[in-house]
Amino acid sequence: MKAIFKRELRSYFTTMLGYIFLTMFLVLTGVLFYLNNIYFGVTSVKNFFSLLTSWAVFIIPILTMRLFAEDRKLKTDQLLMTAPVPVRSIVLGKFLAAGCVLAGALAVTLIYVIVISFFGTVNWAETISCYIGFLLLCGVVLAIGAFMSSLTDSQIVAAVSTYAILIVTVFLGNIAAALPDPFQSLLLWLSPTERFLDFAMGILDPSALVYYISLIALFVFLTMNVMERRRLS
Amino acid sequence: MIEVKELVKHYGDKKAVDGITFTVNDGEILGFLGPNGAGKSTTMNMLTGYISMTSGEIRIGGIDIIEDPIGAKRQIGYLPEQPPLYPEMTVSEYLCFVCELKGVKDIQAHMKEIAAKTGVTGVLSRRVGNLSKGYRQRVGFAAALAGDPKVLILDEPTVGMDPNQIIEIRELIRSLGKEHTVILSSHILSEISAVSDRVLIMDNGKIAAEDTPENLARSEKRDTVKRMLIRIDGESEQIEKVLDSFGDSFTYERINEDYELTLNADAAEDIGRKLFFAFAKAELPILMQKEEEVSLEDVFIELTQKEEKR
Repeated sequence: MKAIFKRELRSYFTTMLGYIFLTMFLVLTGVLFYLNNIYFGVTSVKNFFSLLTSWAVFIIPILTMRLFAEDRKLKTDQLLMTAPVPVRSIVLGKFLAAGCVLAGALAVTLIYVIVISFFGTVNWAETISCYIGFLLLCGVVLAIGAFMSSLTDSQIVAAVSTYAILIVTVFLGNIAAALPDPFQSLLLWLSPTERFLDFAMGILDPSALVYYISLIALFVFLTMNVMERRRLS
Repeated sequence: MIEVKELVKHYGDKKAVDGITFTVNDGEILGFLGPNGAGKSTTMNMLTGYISMTSGEIRIGGIDIIEDPIGAKRQIGYLPEQPPLYPEMTVSEYLCFVCELKGVKDIQAHMKEIAAKTGVTGVLSRRVGNLSKGYRQRVGFAAALAGDPKVLILDEPTVGMDPNQIIEIRELIRSLGKEHTVILSSHILSEISAVSDRVLIMDNGKIAAEDTPENLARSEKRDTVKRMLIRIDGESEQIEKVLDSFGDSFTYERINEDYELTLNADAAEDIGRKLFFAFAKAELPILMQKEEEVSLEDVFIELTQKEEKR
């Protein structure tokens, strides 16, 4: 797993992909930080993260579209699948590499928190829960993206299908508002972005943590199964 | 070392591999020969655990590939038809990655060793994507050697190489065959007969023939008629008169300047001498006299076409 993780992480930065992602992510967070915090002189990062959740989902598939689709295209999956390494190590290694790049990008945004702490008081509980919640939400998006990438050998198809799912996911809350009750509460319960609102308020709800971690585990597990099943066809 | 029993692979309705059984002994070089689509690559992909079989059994060094895939894969080095390379990596990065993947202990030293064996030491710092096809093939070969596996499975190892490189790779395969068990495939016959101890001719997912290259060529010789090519300096009427005097020993056909004789099986003995004296008597000098050998190519065409007719 270590070998795959290291190679994958390095390949983000030997190709343009890692830099493109970092640039987009930092421009986006920079703009949001300026608009939410500096412009209005607000010390709370709640709104910053609430807006970021709707926008960041559109750049995260950059990290995942390549993960498995490229291996199939280049036939390097033949190397990985015939190496004495279990499938779960391959999937986890790749998933963690993508997660690592994302966590790195998120770590850079801590500068904003430091900036706030110089000019005002930081609500640490809220900030920490926002970071934890956002990281988990991104983990879900990465897992969905990885799963879509494992289904195809085209990076474009992987990215576009991930976007399709994410658009529905982001608007699930809005769709729910227009529906009668049993459906409304069901959709609100399902929506990953609605769950994030708890974190934004500084609440570390165990059920939300379990929800995110199970979603990540589910899609990682599905990805492993796709890899395993492809050998049978 | 390798035991394959009743191996079957379906792709939908199509039977890609249809119940093949064979074994490969320790230190043997086995050649897979067959036209495109005969099931060579599918068989190799199953041997290496890349795809699974519909039914049948594969044992690598006594380990069943279904029961203990990791243990079986640890003994195999695989060079697929298209070498599995990451274009953005340098050759040394790539080989180190493969070594790490296969759990090699002293990565740097082992990487240098396999690079030297396959002659890629000079390009270690270059990016894989910028290499020529021949070099990519060699890098793929080096990757297959990583971890010093007991079994090497090489799918068309010399594709895209120039004649000098082909000779080098053949020598490499032959030297590796002393310590490793090697299976290689090709649709180029000279390739197979040059290095293999044993040839397995595949067609339509079945084994059409299995023997040493020499035996395959010899066995075919027995059933088919021998051919001889001669070139005589003289008028065609005179030549044909001499040839006619041999009666039903052979039939002949004029091809440009030369005559191709198709000999009858029982009359084939010593026909060369008889021809020589006959033409000497007629004062017609023989410029060329050549027995046409039955090559593996003839065996191959014979076997695979027979299969088609069925």
